[in-house]
Amino acid sequence: MKLRKVLYGAGVGLLLIIVLIIDVVRKSVDIDLSGLGLMRDIAILCAFVLVFLLFEMIVRTRDQSPVKRMGLALVGSVVMAIVGVGGSVMLEGGFDAKNSILLPLSYGSLFLATVVSALFGVFAVGVLRFLRDLTLYKRKRGTQRNLLIFIGLTLATSISTLWLKPLEREVFVSILYGFAIVAAVVNSFRLSWIVYLSKREKVFGLVYGFFLFSVFIVLNIAIQSGSISRALLYYSYPLKEFVSLVCVFGNIYFGMAFVSTLFHLPTAEAFDRKTSELSSLHNLSKLVTQAFDFNELIDTVTSMTLQVCEAKGCWLELIHTNEDGRGDSLIKREDALRRSFVGSYVVRIAGMKNITHEEIDALLPDGVRTVRDAVLEERRPIVVDDIRRDVRFKKTGRTSVPTGSLVVVPLISHADVIGILYATKDTEHGFFKDDVDVISAFADQATIAIENSRLFNKSLERERLIREMMLAQEMQRKLLPQTLPQFLSVELAASSTPAFEVGGDYYDVAQLDEHRVGVIVGDVSGKGVSAAFYMSEVKGIFQALNKMYHSPKDFMVKANEALFGSFDKRSFITLIYAIMDIRTGTVMIARAGHCPLLHISENRGSYVRPAGIGIGLGDGTVFASSIEEQMIHLREGDVCVLYTDGVTEARFKDDEYGYDRLMDAVLDVHHQSATEIKLHVLNSVKTFTDQEASHDDLTLVVLKWRGNGSTQPIEVS
Amino acid sequence: MSEFKIGVREAEGINVLELKGYLDAHTAPKLEEAFSSLLSLKQFRIVVNCKDLSYISSAGLGVFMAYIEDVRQNKGDIKLTNMSPKVYNVFDLLGFPLLYEIFKDEREAVTKFKDSK
Repeated sequence: MKLRKVLYGAGVGLLLIIVLIIDVVRKSVDIDLSGLGLMRDIAILCAFVLVFLLFEMIVRTRDQSPVKRMGLALVGSVVMAIVGVGGSVMLEGGFDAKNSILLPLSYGSLFLATVVSALFGVFAVGVLRFLRDLTLYKRKRGTQRNLLIFIGLTLATSISTLWLKPLEREVFVSILYGFAIVAAVVNSFRLSWIVYLSKREKVFGLVYGFFLFSVFIVLNIAIQSGSISRALLYYSYPLKEFVSLVCVFGNIYFGMAFVSTLFHLPTAEAFDRKTSELSSLHNLSKLVTQAFDFNELIDTVTSMTLQVCEAKGCWLELIHTNEDGRGDSLIKREDALRRSFVGSYVVRIAGMKNITHEEIDALLPDGVRTVRDAVLEERRPIVVDDIRRDVRFKKTGRTSVPTGSLVVVPLISHADVIGILYATKDTEHGFFKDDVDVISAFADQATIAIENSRLFNKSLERERLIREMMLAQEMQRKLLPQTLPQFLSVELAASSTPAFEVGGDYYDVAQLDEHRVGVIVGDVSGKGVSAAFYMSEVKGIFQALNKMYHSPKDFMVKANEALFGSFDKRSFITLIYAIMDIRTGTVMIARAGHCPLLHISENRGSYVRPAGIGIGLGDGTVFASSIEEQMIHLREGDVCVLYTDGVTEARFKDDEYGYDRLMDAVLDVHHQSATEIKLHVLNSVKTFTDQEASHDDLTLVVLKWRGNGSTQPIEVS
Repeated sequence: MSEFKIGVREAEGINVLELKGYLDAHTAPKLEEAFSSLLSLKQFRIVVNCKDLSYISSAGLGVFMAYIEDVRQNKGDIKLTNMSPKVYNVFDLLGFPLLYEIFKDEREAVTKFKDSK
């Protein structure tokens, strides 16, 4: 790349020096080789083509603002105007015209003409490049074509003069020249870059345009007449036509640019504003997707609102229908709280800019109907053109009400007003329709952002609760026996599944002494967390009392004493407690409102149902008198099943699993092991409900009597 | 979920609640509401007719427990009538017959109230 630049530069220099040598030779030795003049012109053309390419390589100005480049062009053209004026004075009478040929009268004139022409050539190439970039700004179909037509016509005009002597005039040259100027005019309408200038740039552009236009007039006069014209013609007719056309194009273009900028100036401010509105909206919508910092979000919304409508002050209120503002717990300041007059909304001032709480209270006093209430009811933006004169502020009856105008826009999500955005100006009638539109658009974006942020917080909270529940579930699982003791005489199997994460079902097995084992199953009314708490209480009582009372009835009475009154009135616990002598197979059963025990003996099933009310339903005496105790004697192969109503009340459509199905299921497999019976019953319930999620906690304890009367516990793996 | 409905009417100066459908944790608040409004009107003599009650859960049973104390303190009572065998079994299992008067027919309950007056 560098090598190419050097090569091109050297090429330009070499070509121009060759031309100079030819000129000097021609002047000193009076020879006329007709071919030499043509070659010389071609050399000059080649030199300037190289200059153009060199410019393309060296100067990277595309990204610069057009106005800055106009400034540069102005400096260049002023220099050229000075060169032009200076040159024409110095070259005055420096050429002799003979047979349409110009001859320099001195070497001085020759050198000067060469230098001036080269400078003009380079200048013209630079100007052409600049004009090309300007016309191609925001190009449309045909833009480039039009520009190429102009350049083509310019080159055609130049080349058509190759065979002419410097002072010869030809009609077709003038026609081409004319067409080139028409093309220049067409291209001069391509001024779209002006639109996108900021107001400041437009002012500069206007000044630059005016001076450029003026200087180009001077340049064009110099090129068309006087000694500069002669110098250029002498040096190269094609170059002169090229320079001349480019300068005319420049002149027309900058003239048009000046006029166009002038017309754009009044709307410059509006355009600036629209641009900033657009970029603000864009920024906000970007923020919508990423802002999880609530305060940052509110801050952005308020400061951008100030920006887009050039308001003086602005604040954002969040509306809550009750005290549920958990997601916005960051806003804790008491002075930020207001209440709506209409309805029972809690209003929190989430963010404010250039306004104080006192000013807000002056505008929207407590205890009267304000614009806030109007917006809450009407759910559409309200503009107050003159706060002092507006009827809605008459009631405030205060002199402290600020002057100016106010716009109030609701933030609406799912038909609820979730917030209100306010903007104030010092001047009356400060907000126009387009202001309201843009603030509304802003409010919409802000709504989405706020909702997003709230949802995000909610899901965080939800996740936290899920974690807590998982923990509770784990804890509760640990409250149930991890392993069941096994004996040679009796097999035990159990299962408990809560309907939700935690439940109110309870079962436990405890060896009370050498030959007695207690099996308890319980059900706390209700489900979920509250039931789980009571369940753990029952566990505590069972663990504390089971060794002390070897009659299930006594245990029940004591348990009721401990629990009665400590419950919510509508809660109760049902329990069934069986104490078995593992030597004899005698089982004592007491039931406190619980499902009866299923006893399978010799292919026959029966429900054992001693009387007894639920725990918590009656005080000590009522309860104690209700409880009965029943004894059964197990024979070898007998099965006892203790369960909760999650089994019998398992539902499919309108049907319940019921006692009969339970008995049948156990009878089907009663000769198998306790674990197999348990699995069969669970399976049977599952099949019955057709895999529907169970809506109640489900617990099952199966006890199988082997009848060998051994007291030896066996080790469980 | 199946529906639950409560009809309130008066029979010879006694308030009769007619329960219909499924009384479970979801529908129990309706029954609570009915009891609350009767109690707020100082109506303490209540007969609950369970003729069309097809299911009752422990949450449903809990509602009766929640109000019985208040009602009895005001010399009233809640009497239950016309239960289907299935529903009666649930009440019975929990020992309600020991705590509440349960009648086969609504009229018996109303008469009992009138006699006790």
